[in-house]
Amino acid sequence: MKSLCVAVLLLAVSGLVMSAEEDSSSQAKLLVSKQILNKYLVEDMDIVLKYSLYNVGSSAAVNVALKDSSFPADSFSVVGGSLELNVDRIPPGANVSHVVVVRPRKPGYFNFSSAEVNYLPSDEAKQPQFAVSSEPGEGGIIAFRDFDKKFSPHVLDWAAFAVMTLPCLAIPFLLWWSSKSKYEALVKGGKKDKSNKD
Amino acid sequence: MRGVTEGDEDTGPKASPDAETTILFVNPVTQPGSPLDLPAGRIAEFLVGFSNKGKQDMTLELIDASFRYAMDYNFYMQNFSTIAYQQVVKPSHESTIMYSFIPAETFAGRPFGFTVNLHYKDAAGVIYRQAVFNETVNVIEIEEGLDGETFFLYVFLAACVVLLLVAGQQFLYSVGRGSRGGRSAGRKNPAVETGTNNPNDVDYDWLPRETLNSIKKSPKSPKMSPRSQKQSPRTRKVKRSQGDD
Repeated sequence: MKSLCVAVLLLAVSGLVMSAEEDSSSQAKLLVSKQILNKYLVEDMDIVLKYSLYNVGSSAAVNVALKDSSFPADSFSVVGGSLELNVDRIPPGANVSHVVVVRPRKPGYFNFSSAEVNYLPSDEAKQPQFAVSSEPGEGGIIAFRDFDKKFSPHVLDWAAFAVMTLPCLAIPFLLWWSSKSKYEALVKGGKKDKSNKD
Repeated sequence: MRGVTEGDEDTGPKASPDAETTILFVNPVTQPGSPLDLPAGRIAEFLVGFSNKGKQDMTLELIDASFRYAMDYNFYMQNFSTIAYQQVVKPSHESTIMYSFIPAETFAGRPFGFTVNLHYKDAAGVIYRQAVFNETVNVIEIEEGLDGETFFLYVFLAACVVLLLVAGQQFLYSVGRGSRGGRSAGRKNPAVETGTNNPNDVDYDWLPRETLNSIKKSPKSPKMSPRSQKQSPRTRKVKRSQGDD
């Protein structure tokens, strides 16, 4: 009985050691993409950025920290979300998405560059692994005025058009209406006369 | 794996031993191990991860991708854009680059050899090329529930049916009127006769009934006048000649 216990213990220990060895050889590997989900980049309008972290390694990535310092405060303001992301653990085969909404303050061309990520490739790792995300590349931010020219619903213009077309429609209608009401008054008078006769 | 690729690749730049690349298809999402199915005419995206295991900076220069004939990789079926990245990767750092392409719709339902080459150089300017992906993929056709073409086909068919219904209704209506023609004509004739009694050929149909009544009741109504022959001699003559026959 005692020998069996020892054997089981030995097996368990060897198994632990083996798994530890496997862990040291297996590493997490993160692929980080940074995407702009907008079709048009417009001054003072929202730009939606999506960061996706895919763990394609065989071990969990620990203490993942993503930081995007590519948006200078004088030309961009963060409207929603945060440009920094901390994830405790990304298991192998899993992915994490993070969305930030920023607003450009001025029009012009802007080079959307990459975000920086650092993480521990496994639970035992001491040295953090540094990585950079994909770059969306250079994008032209168009002025709001130009965007509005193309895509505004022109409510004011249509209202002005309605006001301008009003006389052309209203004057003939009023003429017709006055003649009609005159005629109807005549008919009613005739009926009254008839009923009086009867 | 590299031996299968085109002949000039053997003579061209080789992969660096310090570089490690991984590829991950983000769109469409695939299970690892299963063959890759790319929907035709839809955007496909993949990420290429690059780790610099060496001691010097590496610069990722460009990615080119192409469809090859599955039997012979020397034949190019579709070339995709070569994208220049110019991204510097420091020693022991990693980098990710994204590439997207659209397989041509005409290629649906056929297998192709899909090759992705990553070109990069080290600090000394030595150019390397690595085949990140070199496998046979299937380009599949998307089964769409309702595309524009079929939708408008159905609209056209519905319009045809409506047109036929309208035509049928018109036909039935005209047939019905034709069979009842005698009766309706008999009913209509007196109205025409009263019309001919009209002294000045004035059409009073458009007037409302009340007005007509008031005109008939008034002493100057045209009811009295048809007696006098000079009002409408022509019609009287015709009537008489008919009566003589």
